[in-house]
Amino acid sequence: MAPDLALPDEARGAIENIGEADIVVGVPSFNNARTIPHVIRAIQAGLARYFSRFSAVIINSDGGSCDGTPEAALAATFDLSRLLILSTPLAAVHRLSFPYHGVPGKGSAFRLVFQMTRALRAKACVVVDADLRSITPEWIDSLLRPVLHADHDFVAPWYHRHKYDGTITNSIVYPLTRSLYGKRIRQPIGGDFGLSPRLVERYLTRSDWETDVARFGIDIWMTTVAVAENFRTCQSFLGAKLHDARDPAADLSEMLRQVTGSVFGLMEEYQSVWGPVSGSAPVDLYGFPHDVGLDPIAVNVDRMIEAFRAGCEHLDEIWSLALQADVLKAVHDLASRHLVLDDELWMRIIFDFACAWRRHRLERAHLLRSLTPLYLARTASFVMETREMFAAEVEQRIEALCITTEEMKPYLLARWRGGDAAIRFPPRAAAHAQTSDRMEVLP
Amino acid sequence: MIHVFQQIFERALTRLSDSVLAYLPPLIVAVFILGSGLLLATLLRWLILRAVKATALDRFLLDSGLGSFIDRSGRLRAAVLLARLAWWFVLGIALLMSIDVFDTTLTSRVVHAAVFAVPKLITAAAILFAGYWLAQYLGRSALVWAVNEEVPMARRLAAGVKAAILFFAIVIAAESLGFAARVFFSTFVIVTGGAALAGSIAAGLALRPVFERWLQRRPQSPQPPARSLWSHL
Repeated sequence: MAPDLALPDEARGAIENIGEADIVVGVPSFNNARTIPHVIRAIQAGLARYFSRFSAVIINSDGGSCDGTPEAALAATFDLSRLLILSTPLAAVHRLSFPYHGVPGKGSAFRLVFQMTRALRAKACVVVDADLRSITPEWIDSLLRPVLHADHDFVAPWYHRHKYDGTITNSIVYPLTRSLYGKRIRQPIGGDFGLSPRLVERYLTRSDWETDVARFGIDIWMTTVAVAENFRTCQSFLGAKLHDARDPAADLSEMLRQVTGSVFGLMEEYQSVWGPVSGSAPVDLYGFPHDVGLDPIAVNVDRMIEAFRAGCEHLDEIWSLALQADVLKAVHDLASRHLVLDDELWMRIIFDFACAWRRHRLERAHLLRSLTPLYLARTASFVMETREMFAAEVEQRIEALCITTEEMKPYLLARWRGGDAAIRFPPRAAAHAQTSDRMEVLP
Repeated sequence: MIHVFQQIFERALTRLSDSVLAYLPPLIVAVFILGSGLLLATLLRWLILRAVKATALDRFLLDSGLGSFIDRSGRLRAAVLLARLAWWFVLGIALLMSIDVFDTTLTSRVVHAAVFAVPKLITAAAILFAGYWLAQYLGRSALVWAVNEEVPMARRLAAGVKAAILFFAIVIAAESLGFAARVFFSTFVIVTGGAALAGSIAAGLALRPVFERWLQRRPQSPQPPARSLWSHL
């Protein structure tokens, strides 16, 4: 059992004042003064419109913002009379803002929210990002209702996103999580979740809060624990995800290190769970899916290809320790011709990195950071391939990658257990025929 | 004439037999000690491999990257490492003892020098090993960082980092051995000082136009950077 991190004094005081609450909504933040007022107003409106009989607490767990985020969160107000809720008695909604303790990162912010959920004996907890621009009151309903009224423990988000948004999700985390644990959770690192107190308690008893879980690894950690430990899981349609993203290249390699490190760490922990799993099954999707408009996203493919070529030129020393000889050769061949990094090669790269990570073939941070040029190559290849495609076609393309990943799982298992397997895959044409037969597009 | 030959032959035979009598028993004892040492070392290795688990040490070797550093397969176990060390340690002692059996001036000096030099040699070897490991670690850190940050000549930069750390380790090892310490130290100071000076001049020259531009733009209100909407997560 994890030693409980002490709650800040303000948090303890608030618990004494409030006593109990039915719902806790957590908003982790760091320098989000621009967007957090909108998020708080949407939560407030959502609670008033859909859960007016429930007492609720909105907690902004802040990482030491210097742009006035906590003040902005506390000052944000919404005129509830505009919702035209005339006859329903409104229960109190408390708004709190505390700085969290521990390792700086989103995970530590969540830890404070979960501790408050436990202390307030809440019936449900929701966490949403503070940089959201597209959050509406309906998000709160969609994330809370399955927990409060359908006994679900974990509600994952299901958004429409631009085809180039969430590339780590689409090219690594979704295919890998789906093929490992056999559950099709489309946005495993979406960042906005609904949780039952049972699952919150499970999270709090874990001992890995001080690892990458405290940072970018928190989302995949929450999803994987819920799925691997058989908590009741579902997805809720939330519409479009538009957020105030920072410069994507700013700390990409660190982000990639934390996310892939968390995925691989959880693979090690739950190997007895995912080993026997084959194929995948859909996960319940609640809500009313509809099309939405999305912001265009500019992507600089040439720069990505340059980064990949620089990796090929300089990182051979590291890649040769991680990748099988034929994979390494195929990667080098890519650098010398038109860049098309197909699904099989890409997943073999990811599997080889996972196995090298497990065997400590070299320092783990170096290994995972050296994945960045390969990830950029895959992203560039994906962008070029899907440039003319519509969202539904791109979704089919991601589905094909997932099916390839599921088919390649024996390779991963053999390599993970210590063999240098030479697994034969079905020829590409046959694989694509199978893919189109088995393909299921989420509603 | 025959008598003279006989005397010479007898003297040679006596000398040979004296030599054999003088050296054969110690040689037999030395071979016996060496053989016993080899047997004992092998037995100890066998025992360690079977009895020692050293799980915590295994974890340390893995987490620190030392395991992969010593054995590139990454499957090195601490028990294997301990067994190897014990084998060489016992064999080394047996070798010294067997040399000492001959009790000559030369062998005594060899044994004496070995016994007194061993701690220094071990220290120097440990410094070189740690330096090599650190050079490898920081060299790779620099390499991966430079590639991801699109810094030109990434491999040369990494090689420079490695060389600097290795050189530093050699200076400290030489200092601990008392081997040409002043020469190594002076070289180190000259090279480091020169590198720092060259770096400062290069940075100063390179940053001058940047500062000029910055000073020219300073009165203007700063424009917020264009925000990209792309998120990898």
